[in-house]
Amino acid sequence: MLDNLILGFSQALTPENLLWCLIGVVAGTVIGLLPGLGATTGVAVLLPLTFALEPITALIMLAGIYYGAQYGGTITSVLISTPGEASSVVTTLDGYQMARKGRAGPALAISAIGSFIAAIISLALLVTLAPPLAELALGFGPIEQLAIMLLGLVIVVTFQGGALVRGAMMAGVGLLISTVGVASGFTTARFTFGSVDLLSGIPFVEVMIGLFALGEVLHQIRVGAAAPIRARFKDMVIRRKDITDSMPAILRGSGIGFVLGILPGAGSTLASFMSYGIEKRVSKNRANFGKGAIEGVASPESANNAAANANFVPTLALGIPGGATTAVLLGAFTIFGLQPGPLLFETQPALVWGLLVSFFIGNVLLLVLNLPLAPVFAQMLRIPYAYLYPIILLTSVVGAFAVSNNLFSVWLVVLFGILGWILKELDLPIAPLVLGLVLGPLLEKALVQTSALGQGNLGVVVTSPTAIVVLLGAVVLVVLPKVVVAIRSRRTPAEVGR
Amino acid sequence: MTSRPTTIAAAAVAALALAACSSGGGTADGPVTGNVTMVVPFSAGGGSDASGRAIASGLEGVTGLTITTENREGGSGAVGYSYFLGEEGNPNVLLAAETSLISIPLSQDVEFASTSFTPIMKLGDDYTLLVVPADSPYETCTDVIDAAADGRVVAAVSGAVSLDEVVFSLVEEDQDVEFDRVPFESGAEVIAGVLGGQVDIASLNPGEVVGQLESGDMRALCSFSEERYEYEAIADVPTAVEQGIDVAFAQFRGFIAPGGLTEEQTQFWIDAAEEFAETDAYDEYIEANLMQPNVLYGDEFAEYVAGNEADLATALGQ
Repeated sequence: MLDNLILGFSQALTPENLLWCLIGVVAGTVIGLLPGLGATTGVAVLLPLTFALEPITALIMLAGIYYGAQYGGTITSVLISTPGEASSVVTTLDGYQMARKGRAGPALAISAIGSFIAAIISLALLVTLAPPLAELALGFGPIEQLAIMLLGLVIVVTFQGGALVRGAMMAGVGLLISTVGVASGFTTARFTFGSVDLLSGIPFVEVMIGLFALGEVLHQIRVGAAAPIRARFKDMVIRRKDITDSMPAILRGSGIGFVLGILPGAGSTLASFMSYGIEKRVSKNRANFGKGAIEGVASPESANNAAANANFVPTLALGIPGGATTAVLLGAFTIFGLQPGPLLFETQPALVWGLLVSFFIGNVLLLVLNLPLAPVFAQMLRIPYAYLYPIILLTSVVGAFAVSNNLFSVWLVVLFGILGWILKELDLPIAPLVLGLVLGPLLEKALVQTSALGQGNLGVVVTSPTAIVVLLGAVVLVVLPKVVVAIRSRRTPAEVGR
Repeated sequence: MTSRPTTIAAAAVAALALAACSSGGGTADGPVTGNVTMVVPFSAGGGSDASGRAIASGLEGVTGLTITTENREGGSGAVGYSYFLGEEGNPNVLLAAETSLISIPLSQDVEFASTSFTPIMKLGDDYTLLVVPADSPYETCTDVIDAAADGRVVAAVSGAVSLDEVVFSLVEEDQDVEFDRVPFESGAEVIAGVLGGQVDIASLNPGEVVGQLESGDMRALCSFSEERYEYEAIADVPTAVEQGIDVAFAQFRGFIAPGGLTEEQTQFWIDAAEEFAETDAYDEYIEANLMQPNVLYGDEFAEYVAGNEADLATALGQ
């Protein structure tokens, strides 16, 4: 173990590798920041630039882009309610409210601190326990994945407590939108009306840009120009109390994120949603969730970063990518002539351990970069809205176009921008819609596979103890709050009578 | 104080504008200029993705053009090919093709046919191995057939009309047995399903599973090739024919251009492909993926596709 770490440090601490690690994390932060450009696209686009480098240097940089993007995705979520990545959608709920109260600085800082702690926890687990954990994750087949995704949907739908119906409705809309295109396991097109653009479905990046960025701008225009936020510098810097308050949320988020990150499919978006949903139930400060609670930022940001790092467990230990970005990274391994697979740790120890150590270094770099920058970024909100909004509009539309080089994307953004504005006017929650859209295809795939495993009978679910436990958890989540309310209301009159 | 955030925002806008302008491109002079997109009709990380990226970087080397790879997955490949059909006449897009070019139009109601495009280069052939988890009760492919005759054998397939689906159909027809199918969306997902014990058997390209075979996590029972492999790692895997199953089916890998190109444009890509086949990058790709380097260009490739289509149609009883 120690030998391996020493080997890793000797690989990662060369000036060249340090420099490329820094370049990677900075590029990742910028890529995460831009709406439209995600980690997957970023790694794929910058991959050819690394061909001239040594394999380890190239992989250190590419991995840096990946986890760097997890930090960057937060910044726009907090400042202008426009998530840079799907995994930062939930952060808008409390992050943006904090920004409106002049606390954008602490929101960004806690997200950097939470991300850092989550990364270190999951990396420590990755370094010590990757092979057994990967074996464990393999036990999660289609049936278990189906159960987990249902649990995720239930947690998100019940976000708002009383507004169960509205949450369920919006998740349903998201799922419906996700049925456009060709279904998993079949070749029949649904709801495409002959359009080739719609064959791969409605891409969620465009939906996200429309609903959040454009929707928010339209909403603000109708509400009327708000005064720019002029926070005192004191409020821009995170306080010790903010950190101690957030600690339980960060630790829980890291745990949830790590578990979901090592499982195939679900990944960091579901992790951030589930962690926020759970935090909203168990946090001491749960009453303030949605109104700018710092725990509401710390929790999903820790979870998505833990999941992103945990994704390397199956990737490095088994050669099976945990998500889209790690799949591209695995492709990079092959391009550099490395055979990913269970033997990678044995055949390429210098590369694997160098890469793992570089993750620690990269995360330290990100923390050092992001903490002092948080108050600086927060100053952006001093720009009067008359200047800020055109910039948001321009970046969103150009961002949407950049994803696919297709004008169709721009029309989608406009369409979903209008939908986003209507939803805001009706006070309907947007986050469940996004999760429904992201989970839809995964849920459908797991459903088709489960049905195939059961020869058409979904009752096969009861053959998996894990799935039963997870599904019971989902039922409890829906039923328990009602039971608690019922018991309380029955007790209260009696107590009053006494 | 406003100057700094404005600068940051302006930089962001500039970066986005650059990203937006970096692809697409004019074809005003010369047969092919500007940036090129390599469409991969499957998700990142699979065999098609690897081949698309290898071809793209190889062609970049010989043409000097910038070629970016774009995954347009969905519908077992139908999405990517249908999108490609809409690019008719555009010499700046290519597609990393394999047998689904033939099997999709044969089995599904789609708008394209295997002849809708301009075949450029067949890189080589890829067969599949029948693999099981290390602790599987099956020792040979005959064991698997016997088990399927008596009861239920669950097979993972990586798409509704993918090569492994074709191979399983051929085996079923030859041996008069039936396998239950569970559809996955990539070779990597299938490997996870086999290792996790959710499925009993899978039929995967050697390049996809060689890591798991070498580590002993999976075993290869037979190969669906005419002869045994020469690659050391899988040289002792018997062929299906040796075990009494008369099935050998090669999947080709290559790349195609959209239909409706001018002769110069087609020739440009064929010349580039011939040059690519001479490079070390080509050899490395073939060896890393344990493929057979059977190369064909242009019209010869088109003839091969037509022959393959006829074989496949007979095999699938259509």
